[in-house]
Amino acid sequence: MKIVVLLSAGAHPVSSAPVLPRLEAQALRLALALGETTGLHAGPSAAPAADALGHGLGLLTHLATREGDDPIPALVAALKAETPDLVLAGRRGQGGEETGLAPYAVAAALGVTIVADAVALAPGAAPGSLVVEQALPKGARRRLVVRLPALVTVHPGAPAPGAYAYGVARRGRVDTIWGVAGSAAEPNPIAVEERPYRPRPKLMRSAPGTGSAAERLAAATGGMASSGANVLVQPTPDEAARAILEHLRRIGVLAPAVANKPAA
Amino acid sequence: MTRVRRDPRADRRAAQIASLDRPRFDLAGRAADGGPGRPRRNPRTEFAALRVTGAARPRFDRQHRGEGAVAQVVSAASTPNVIVVDAPAFLVAVVPDAPGGRLTQHDRQLFGAARTLAGAHGAVAALVAGEIEGLGAIGADRVAALASTQNYAPDVTAAALASAFAALSPRHLLFPETPDGGDLARRLALLTGEPLFPDVEQLSATSVSRAARGKRVAQRAAPARLMTLGADVVAPYSGPAREGRSEPLPTAEVSAPAITDARRIPADPATTPLTVADFVVSAGNGVTDIEAFRRLAEALGATPGASRVLCDAGLMPRASQVGASGSVLTATCYLALGVAGAPQHLQGVAGCEHVVAVNTDLHAAMIERAGLAIVQDAQLVMPALIAALESERAS
Repeated sequence: MKIVVLLSAGAHPVSSAPVLPRLEAQALRLALALGETTGLHAGPSAAPAADALGHGLGLLTHLATREGDDPIPALVAALKAETPDLVLAGRRGQGGEETGLAPYAVAAALGVTIVADAVALAPGAAPGSLVVEQALPKGARRRLVVRLPALVTVHPGAPAPGAYAYGVARRGRVDTIWGVAGSAAEPNPIAVEERPYRPRPKLMRSAPGTGSAAERLAAATGGMASSGANVLVQPTPDEAARAILEHLRRIGVLAPAVANKPAA
Repeated sequence: MTRVRRDPRADRRAAQIASLDRPRFDLAGRAADGGPGRPRRNPRTEFAALRVTGAARPRFDRQHRGEGAVAQVVSAASTPNVIVVDAPAFLVAVVPDAPGGRLTQHDRQLFGAARTLAGAHGAVAALVAGEIEGLGAIGADRVAALASTQNYAPDVTAAALASAFAALSPRHLLFPETPDGGDLARRLALLTGEPLFPDVEQLSATSVSRAARGKRVAQRAAPARLMTLGADVVAPYSGPAREGRSEPLPTAEVSAPAITDARRIPADPATTPLTVADFVVSAGNGVTDIEAFRRLAEALGATPGASRVLCDAGLMPRASQVGASGSVLTATCYLALGVAGAPQHLQGVAGCEHVVAVNTDLHAAMIERAGLAIVQDAQLVMPALIAALESERAS
């Protein structure tokens, strides 16, 4: 299977120094376990993406573009020429606009399927297919069978990136070629005004927006629940068990009973 | 020009009120025939009129905000008044996730945001696949049904959304910034060519903002046409119920999905970290039979947790401690067995939607916090629960 990993020049979350984003190092680990892998980076300098060589990448193709150019046309042209079976990317950039639109734009331009948020990859039973495990909220997963070619984005819950090794990084190769000159990156079509980031207070989930101060305080501290609470005083253990199971089924955390036979 | 002579004795006699026991006079002229002078006030009846009806304890509306009157009207009528928007100036559409047909808290917040954007003249439209109940109550004026797909097929759903977007042409279309909602929003942005303003952190009727460049800058703009909303940004809609009238949509042609098979794998409760677990069953000082507790957790398919006392005693691993110095939960349901509910423990449970408590003490804080409270020994309830689950499985 021919795999290409899209690598970007991210900014370090603390120091803002250019680094390889962690998500892309995780994508690289998934790809190396699956088959023959090359890296692809479009931008003025290959230095940040070249960290991937230390994580086990053999060959990085660097599409040189001018500073401030849109990298998508260069990536799409290179991928059209190479026709890989599988393209891997991180789910968001790091240090840029962080909209998560770039993988979707590449997939749309190539006309391939896109699958988001993978945490595990395996070759499918049928030739030309791939089994992707997607991360869902609350620890659940979804296992998909996808026809190749496809573009898969990687979730932070994927296995941690492989260790960086200096000797391995020295043995890796970077090929620099001129990328297709895209137009200068379009200014954001939405007129935005930028200002320093200020963390906002989180919304208090249980507090209602209306009502008197006493009601809002009671709701925020959970005192409200007791007013409508269902209290069973000294039931028999069997009654208690039935009440608990009924309540759990009503709120949907417990699967309904197969047959409706009175319990115990 | 001489003044009329007054006879003070005659005046006094005229002001006399008929009385049996002693002579009484109405010197200020407040007689019942509506004479001049200040009206008499009864402070007790005035104070009683200030009392807000419907409240459990006595409350008095001293600032005359009319709360008492409003409460009276609601309790007298007690019919749900539904708000109907007949000819909206524009639509604000919402695509809730609703995994398994159940609306999440994030979905409800999405409707709150849509109501903020719609204002007085717009209408909120929900675009949903399949039947979801109670959309009107959480703020949907219109409900449009998308063609539902049996399997997971985001490309087909995005195509259906694109045709709905063209047919309804809403002023804004909102998605939740969740794995599925965010994925659909980005697919739709590419299909329609409409710019996307993702992961909104602050929203008002006139502006939205989001973090960018590693949370170094905040980008602020007027509300865009396509937006995804982060969790816990806007409060859910809390006004009176809306109509939820169904809105017809043209049927979109369905292409063959590229994903040939999809299967949902539920989270393994044994390996799920407490902080992301959906259902947590927790043991406190009232549980002595840890083996039975573990069997119960396995039978319920819940992640086991524990209070500080059990972790200190070495009966449960430290990683399973719930509370301020352990894990802070985000579970949907928390089942507390023999947990009294220390304030530090309740901090860890604050984010849970439903709490069920079993405790011998009627006045325990956990009983007060619970939606279903059972005053009984947890040691007796655990085997009964296991037996009930086993008999269900056997039948």
